[in-house]
Amino acid sequence: MRIRAVLAVAALAATTALAACSGDTGPLSTTATQPRTDAVGQAPPAAKKAAPACNPRASLRPEPGGLPSPGDMPAGSYMRTIQERGRLVLGTSQDTLLFSSRNPFTGQIEGFDVDMGRQIAEAIFGDPGKLQIKVIAYDKRVSSAADGSVDIVADTMTANCERWQDVLFSSIYYEAGQKVLVSKTSTAKSIEDLGGKKVCSAAGSTSIENVAKVKTKPIPVAKAVFGDCLVAFQRNEVDGISTDDTILAGMAAQDPYAKVIGDRFTDEPYAMAISKEHPEFARFVNAVLERNRADGTWKKTYERWLGDFGAAPSPPKAQYDK
Amino acid sequence: MTTALAARPAPGTQRNAGVLRRVGGLRHTSPGRLQLLIALLVGLGLLSGLLAGVTGSSARAGTDDLGDRAQPLLVESEAIYAALADADTTAAQAFLAGGLEPVALTRRYDADLERATTALTSAARRTPADGRAAEAVRTLSAGVAQYSALVATARANNRQGLPVGVSYLSEASRLNRDTLQPQARELFRGAQNEVEDGYSAAGAAGWMALLLLSLLALLIALVLTQRYLSRRTNRTFNVPLLAATALTLVFTIGTIAILAVQQAHLDRAAGQGSGPMASISESRLLTLQARGDEALTLAARAGSGPYEEDFATVQARLTQSGGPMVNQYGALDSQLGRTMDRAAKQFRQYATIHKDVRALDDNGEYDKAVALAIGPETSKVFDELRSDLDAALENRKAFFTAEIESAGSGLGLLTVLGPLLALGVCAFAYAGLRARLEEYR
Repeated sequence: MRIRAVLAVAALAATTALAACSGDTGPLSTTATQPRTDAVGQAPPAAKKAAPACNPRASLRPEPGGLPSPGDMPAGSYMRTIQERGRLVLGTSQDTLLFSSRNPFTGQIEGFDVDMGRQIAEAIFGDPGKLQIKVIAYDKRVSSAADGSVDIVADTMTANCERWQDVLFSSIYYEAGQKVLVSKTSTAKSIEDLGGKKVCSAAGSTSIENVAKVKTKPIPVAKAVFGDCLVAFQRNEVDGISTDDTILAGMAAQDPYAKVIGDRFTDEPYAMAISKEHPEFARFVNAVLERNRADGTWKKTYERWLGDFGAAPSPPKAQYDK
Repeated sequence: MTTALAARPAPGTQRNAGVLRRVGGLRHTSPGRLQLLIALLVGLGLLSGLLAGVTGSSARAGTDDLGDRAQPLLVESEAIYAALADADTTAAQAFLAGGLEPVALTRRYDADLERATTALTSAARRTPADGRAAEAVRTLSAGVAQYSALVATARANNRQGLPVGVSYLSEASRLNRDTLQPQARELFRGAQNEVEDGYSAAGAAGWMALLLLSLLALLIALVLTQRYLSRRTNRTFNVPLLAATALTLVFTIGTIAILAVQQAHLDRAAGQGSGPMASISESRLLTLQARGDEALTLAARAGSGPYEEDFATVQARLTQSGGPMVNQYGALDSQLGRTMDRAAKQFRQYATIHKDVRALDDNGEYDKAVALAIGPETSKVFDELRSDLDAALENRKAFFTAEIESAGSGLGLLTVLGPLLALGVCAFAYAGLRARLEEYR
C-alpha cells in the first residue's frame, strides 16, 4: 500500500510541476506567456513616459562613401560581427500575410518584411539566404531589438517617438495606415460605427492603442498575433479587426466573407528597428534602403508581394536628421 | 420467540424491560440456564453466518468494483490524457512538415482522437453521474469535439494554402494544452483516488473484524458451555457440542485463510500492479510531453524558449534513477525489467538527438533542425520507445487483472459456505443442549 501511495504522490507532483511550466501557447504562436483569455475592454498599457515630440520618420544619415562590398565589412563595426557569425538574425512574425507569413506549401516564412531582411543579408554577405528568422511576439519587438536577441526587426513595425526612445529606426520603407475589417454583411462605414463592438488587434501593436482612442469607444480585444484575430473573427468572437490596411488586405484575401472599410485613419510608417548600441549598423541599413529605392529593387519587392493592390507607388522618401 | 429476543440488545422501553426481567429470571433455574445457553449459541452462530455472508459479498463487491470499474477507469483516463497529448504533438509535427500533412501523421492523429473518444465513452460509463469526475468527462467530451473541429478547419485552410490554417492549429493546440489536458489530469487524479478507495472497500476491514470477533465469541461460548456442562453432568464430552466446536474452528480457520489470501493478492495488485502502472503511465505521458515540447519549440521559431526548459525538466525526471522510468522494474518481472531498460535507453538516445536538433536550430540551421526532429531516424527511436512503454503497461495491466481475480476467488466460498457452516454450528449446538434440557422434562 505504501509503495502505491508514494508513487501516486510522486506522479501527481510531477504532473503538477509540469503543468505549472508548460506555457500556454499554441504550437505556432510566438510567445510562451501570452494571456489565455482575451484582454477584453482592457485599455492598452499607458506609455511609460511621455515621448518628447520628434519626427519619427527621420533616421541616421548613411556614411558618405557608399556601401562596403559584401563579405568585407569594416573592422570593428557591428556588420563585421554579423559577418563573422555567418548569418543575420531577423526578428519578425510568421502570420502576417504578405509581410511575413509561413507559406503553407513550403513551410518557409516569406513576405515584404522578410525580403527587407534578405536584402540586408545580401549587402553583408553577398547571399540573401544567410538569414536566420526568429519569430518574436508583437509586444517583444522593441525589447528584442534593444537587448540584442535579434540583429534587426522588420515586422510591420511603426516608427514612433515613443519607440525611438528605446531603439533606432531605419528610414521608412513602407507607408501604411490603419483601417478596419468587418463582415461582408456589416453596415459599418468606418471604425466609428463600431462603438461598443469588439474589435481585435495584436497586443503590443500601435493598432490596438489607436482602437482604444476612437471616440465612439469600440472594445479593443488583444490577441497575441494577428492570425489569432482572424480566427476570432471567423468564429464570431469579435465583430471586426483593425490594423494596417496591408495586413487587413492579406486577411480579406483569405476570407471571402470579410471586407475592409473606410479610409486610413492613421499613418503607420514602417521602419526596421535596430539596437541603440549599433548606430553604424543603422546607417548601413539606410544606405542599403537608399540604394534599393534608386535601383528599382524596392519596386520589384512591392510588386512581388503587394502588386494585387495596384501599381507600385513611389517608395517613401528617406528623411535624415542625425 | 424468547430466544430470539435474548440475542438482541435491549431497547430501553418499559414493556421490553418486563421481558428482559423475565428472561433474566431464567438464569436462576437449571433449565432456564440451558435455554439461555441455547439462545446464546444459536444467536452467535446466526450472527457469524450473517456476518460471513455480508463480509464475503461486500469484499466481493469491492474487489469486483476495483477490478471492473475503478482500475479500468484509471486506465481509460490515462489513455485519454495520453491520446490528447499525442494528438497535440502529432498536429504540431504535421505542421512542421510543411505542405500537405504526411499520411502517417494524419493517421496517427485520427487514431489518437478515436482513442480519446472511445476512452471517454467508457469513462463516462464508469463515473458516477455527479461529482468532479463526471464534470471532467462532460467538459472533455465537449472539448474534444471542439478541438477536432478546429483541427479540421486548420486542415481545410492549409489545403487551400491559406496561412490562417496555422492560426487555427495554434488555437486548437491552446485548447488542448490549457483546457483539455488539465481536465484529463483531473480525471486521472480522481481515478487514482478511486483506486485507492477501491482497495480499502475491497479489504472490507470493518466487516472482517466484526466477523472474526463474532467467531471468536462463538468459540469461547462453546468452550465455556462445554466446561459448564461437564462440571454439571458427569459426561466429559458432549458430542454435538464438540462437533459444533470443530465446525466453528473449521469456519474460523477457513475464513482467516480466505481473507489472508485475498489481502495478499490485493497487496500484490496494489504494490506490483497499480503502483508500477502509475509510474509507467507517468513515463509515457512525460515522453509524449517531451516530444511535444520539441515540436512546439520548433513551431514557435523563437529559439530555445520555455518549452525547451520544460524538456529539460522532463528529461531530468525520466533519467533520474528511482524515478518513473529508471526503477527496479526487473524485481517485479524480468520481462518488464527488460522492456523498461530498453525504454530508458531509447529515451537517452532520443535526448541525444534532441540535443542535436537544438544545436542546429540555435545555430540558425532551422530547416535542418526540423528535418532531424521529424525525420525517420528520430521517429523510429521515438516510436520504439512508445511501443515499449505500451508493452510495459500491458504487462502490468495483465498482472493486476490476474491478482484481482485471485483475490476475488475465495470470497464466493465465504459468502455461500459461511452461512451454511454457521447453520450447522447452530444445529449441533441446539442438539447438544436440547438433549440436556430434555432431562428436566
